[in-house]
Order: sequence, then structure tokens, then C-alpha cells
Amino acid sequence: MPSFTMRSTVRTDKLATVAGYVAGFALLFVIWHLAAAYLVKSILFPGPWPVFERALVLIEDNILQEQIVASMRRIMQGFLLGSAIGIPIGLAIGSFRIVRWLLEPWTEFFRFIPAVAMITVAVIWFGIGEESKIFLIAYTTVFVVVISTAAGVGAVGRDKIRAAQCLGASRLQVFALVALPATVPYILTGMRLAMANAFVTIVAAELIASNDGLGKLLWDARLFMQIEDIFVALVALGLLGFLTDRVFRVLIRAFAGRFNATV
Amino acid sequence: MALVSLEGVGKTYHGRTGAWEAVRDFSLDLADGEFFCLLGTSGCGKTTVLNMVAGFEQPTAGRILLDGVPVERPGADRGVVFQGHDSLYDWLTALDNIGFGLRLRGLGRRDRRAKAEHYLNMVGLTGQGAKHPSELSGGMKQRIQIARALANDPRMLLMDEPFGALDAMTRAVLQGELSRIWAETRKTVLFITHDIEEAVALGTRVGVMKRGPGGTLKAVIPVDLPFPRERTSDAFMATFREVHALIHDEIHGAH
Ligand SMILES: Nc1ncnc2c1ncn2[C@@H]1O[C@H](COP(=O)(O)OP(=O)(O)OP(=O)(O)O)[C@@H](O)[C@H]1O
Ligand SMILES: [Mg+2]
Repeated sequence: MPSFTMRSTVRTDKLATVAGYVAGFALLFVIWHLAAAYLVKSILFPGPWPVFERALVLIEDNILQEQIVASMRRIMQGFLLGSAIGIPIGLAIGSFRIVRWLLEPWTEFFRFIPAVAMITVAVIWFGIGEESKIFLIAYTTVFVVVISTAAGVGAVGRDKIRAAQCLGASRLQVFALVALPATVPYILTGMRLAMANAFVTIVAAELIASNDGLGKLLWDARLFMQIEDIFVALVALGLLGFLTDRVFRVLIRAFAGRFNATV
Repeated sequence: MALVSLEGVGKTYHGRTGAWEAVRDFSLDLADGEFFCLLGTSGCGKTTVLNMVAGFEQPTAGRILLDGVPVERPGADRGVVFQGHDSLYDWLTALDNIGFGLRLRGLGRRDRRAKAEHYLNMVGLTGQGAKHPSELSGGMKQRIQIARALANDPRMLLMDEPFGALDAMTRAVLQGELSRIWAETRKTVLFITHDIEEAVALGTRVGVMKRGPGGTLKAVIPVDLPFPRERTSDAFMATFREVHALIHDEIHGAH
């Protein structure tokens, strides 16, 4: 049966992808182990085993989870806030020339001031509490999302819009049923890029001014020369970033209609 | 009264390279229920004429009347099948693409599906409604475009070289199906092509355009042959030769 063969090849494709990831990570850890055990041979460069053992201890003491939750909560809050602000602005810039003229100077100006450079003002304005971090993540998210959303609106094919018009669509329907869904992959791509920025920003912000989070873990480990803790934090960041990025890729593919998405 | 009247229509584009008169003094009456094929060499202004009838663009001279009322904007009474297949919605299934116009009109999900299925079957894609455009071949996408336009039940169909990018065999199959669908529905059709055989096989009249700048209608030839058309018959050949002679002059510059 053709449908059966198709489904089973999709499944083997997925299995192959997962197997590839597992093998890739395994290779990374093997090389790390070899480098630590035979090449560098320094207590400043621990191998994967001591780091893994240390991670277990930190997990048992509930320390690692707390830092991860603290950092991820800030990232998600700031990221969602930034996206919620950026998407409508990007849609407006892409749809109306006047808005573009008015707002493009803003986006083109601020996107060259990195969030890391804003840490000092953020701390002065909002203190070292949650607000300053959420502000910084939102700041770093907004401009990337605005630009890719506006680009997406501009890239909607002319025939797609015309087809809707001659099927009887109103301006609102053209926007809601054609321009918006056609732009979703661009919006998600912008959010995906912004998420990478958010990781950079949160670590920098927590290094400088914070009471918890993975950045704080890194900073404390440096102060007390707990080299394994540093590596635990680094691996945690890598894995968290990897997982969030996977989620985005799946979403983007689904919306682009390459799979039988139920959207 | 004619369904559509083009009265001395002209279109001049003002672009980066200056003014370009794409169409000049184009006059034509389309009767209700006829299948009009507009033939012409590349760049003579065929798409420009269609875009003005569709209401996507406004004439810079003359006027276009639909039921005696000037055309000002696109509307659901004129279904368009586009030259490429960029006009399909990638994020919708074939069936939802076909039912898109019905959704715009607020038809419920059940009715919409039933009607879309009907047109899916009509264009010969039974059972393929769950596929997305990226999973369809070029010929299948053109069928979906035709079904989408028909499902909306327009008064007329405007088709811009719908089979232009297809291989000869697929094209012949789709021509046959379009002819059958037209016989069933009796929609007025304005069909653009640069394929003489296609025009003579499908049209009740064939119009030949003069090369631009200032592309205009050079001659209109009625094709009084019964459907389905026998392409190897003498009568078909005679009409083919007549149209061919007009086009030949056009290509080789005898005006
Ligand atoms: N938006 C535009 N701006 C400027 N010139 C245009 C524009 N659209 C079309 N033209 C010009 O008008 C002329 C007619 O173009 P049109 O697309 O109507 O040709 P066509 O007969 O459909 O050709 P083809 O068979 O290749 O599709 C061409 O010379 C083209 O360069
Ligand atoms: Mg054309």
C-alpha cells in the first residue's frame, strides 16, 4: 500500500535523524574525553565524567534545576514580551508605507546597539531584579522579530493576494487569511534568531547583576574556582539552546506546509 | 448585450525606462457563455489585457464594462487562473485551497468540504485533497487553480496561459478536461495562450493580437467546429492554417 510505505519512510527518516543527533553528541563527548585525558591533562580542563558527576550532585541538591528555571523563565518572559511587541510592529511596517517611513529609522538605529551594551542602563533603571533581565531579553528580541516580520509581509507573492481578491476577499480577509499565514514562517525564523540572542543576553546580564541563574552559576564557579561547575553550566546552556531551537524548526516546517500540518 | 465590453482600451506603463504603451485601442465584446482565446506572441500585451478585465490594473485609455458597469476592482464574479502557480496557498491542503472562496463567504465547514470535493473530482484529482501544494505536480496545481476558481461560481473565467508550462501530453489531457468542464458549466471564458492548436481546439472564437508596443487586436476568427474537436480533421486544419498565417505575419513583421 503506497500510503503505508510513505509513512514508514517518514518514520525511518525521523529515526535516522535522531540516531544522527545521538551519534553526533556521543562523538562530541568522546573527543572531549580524549582531549581532557590525553591532550590537555590539566585540572583546569575536566573531562565529561567529572562534569557529569558534578552535575548529578548539583541536581540532587536541586541547585542546577533552580538556576535553569531562573534563566529560562527570564528568557521566556522577555522573549514572549519582545515577540508580542515585535510582531504587530513588523506587520504594520510591512503593510503600511507611512509606518515604514516612521519606524524604520528606529529599528535601524537600535538594532546596532547590542543588548549587552544596555545592561548598565537596564540595571540603573530597573535594578538587579527580574525587570532588568526581562527588559534586556525583550529588547534583544524585538528588533530581530520586527525586521523579519516586515520582510515576510513584503515577500507575500502578488498572485496570492490577487487570487484572494478575485475570490471576493475584503482587505481584512486578505490580511488575516493570506498575508498573515504567509508571513508566519518569517515570524518564526525571526523568533528563532532572537532566541539565540536571548541566550547570549541572559548569560551576560546574570554574570554582571543577578542572584541566580546559569550566568550566576558561572560567575560563582569562577570566584570559587569550581571548574566543574563552569562546565556544567556551559553544557546546560548548549543543551537548552539545542532543544529550544529544535522546537522552532519543527514549528517552522509545519507552518511552511511541507508536512501535513494541522494548522 | 455583451457580458464584457472593452472599448478602445489602452494601457501605458510608466516605469524606470520611461513610458511604455503596452496596449493600444483594444476593443472587444465577449458574449455570455463563449470561450474566447486570445493569441499573441510573447510580450504583446495579453496579460495586461487580462489584468485589466480582472480589475487588478486600470486602463489608461478607454474603458471596460462588465454588464454595462465599469470594472474598477477585482471581484468574485471574475475567477482568475494565473500564469504560474504561485497563487496557491502553501499552508492549505488542496481541498482547502479549492474551498478558499467559499470560506471567504462564510460557508460552514461541512458544506465547504462537500462542495470542494465536488470540484476536486471534476478536475480529476479524486482522493488527493489532503495534499499540500508542495506535494503536487505542476499539472495538478493548475487543476487545483481551475477548481478553486470554479468552486467560487464566477460569471466568467480569466485564464492566463494556464497550461503554458506543462509538457505536451499533460497539456492535451487538461485541454480535454477544460473543454468538457466548459461544456458542462457554460462559463464565459477568456483564455490566453500562445499555442495556436490550443486556441483552435478550445475556442469558440480566436483573437490574434498585434505585436507591441501598442499591442492591439488584429483579427478575430470564429471557430464553428463541433466539440469535442477532431484535431486531424480538414476543417480543424483549415482554421489552424488561417490563424497560423496571421501569427506568421506577426512574427515576421508584415503588418
Ligand atoms: N508593470 C509593468 N511595468 C512596465 N511595463 C510592463 C509592466 N507589465 C508589462 N509591461 C510591458 O508590457 C508589455 C506586455 O506585457 P504582458 O505581460 O502583457 O505580455 P504578454 O503578452 O502576457 O507576454 P507573455 O506571453 O510572455 O506572458 C511588455 O513589453 C512588458 O514589458
Ligand atoms: Mg503573459
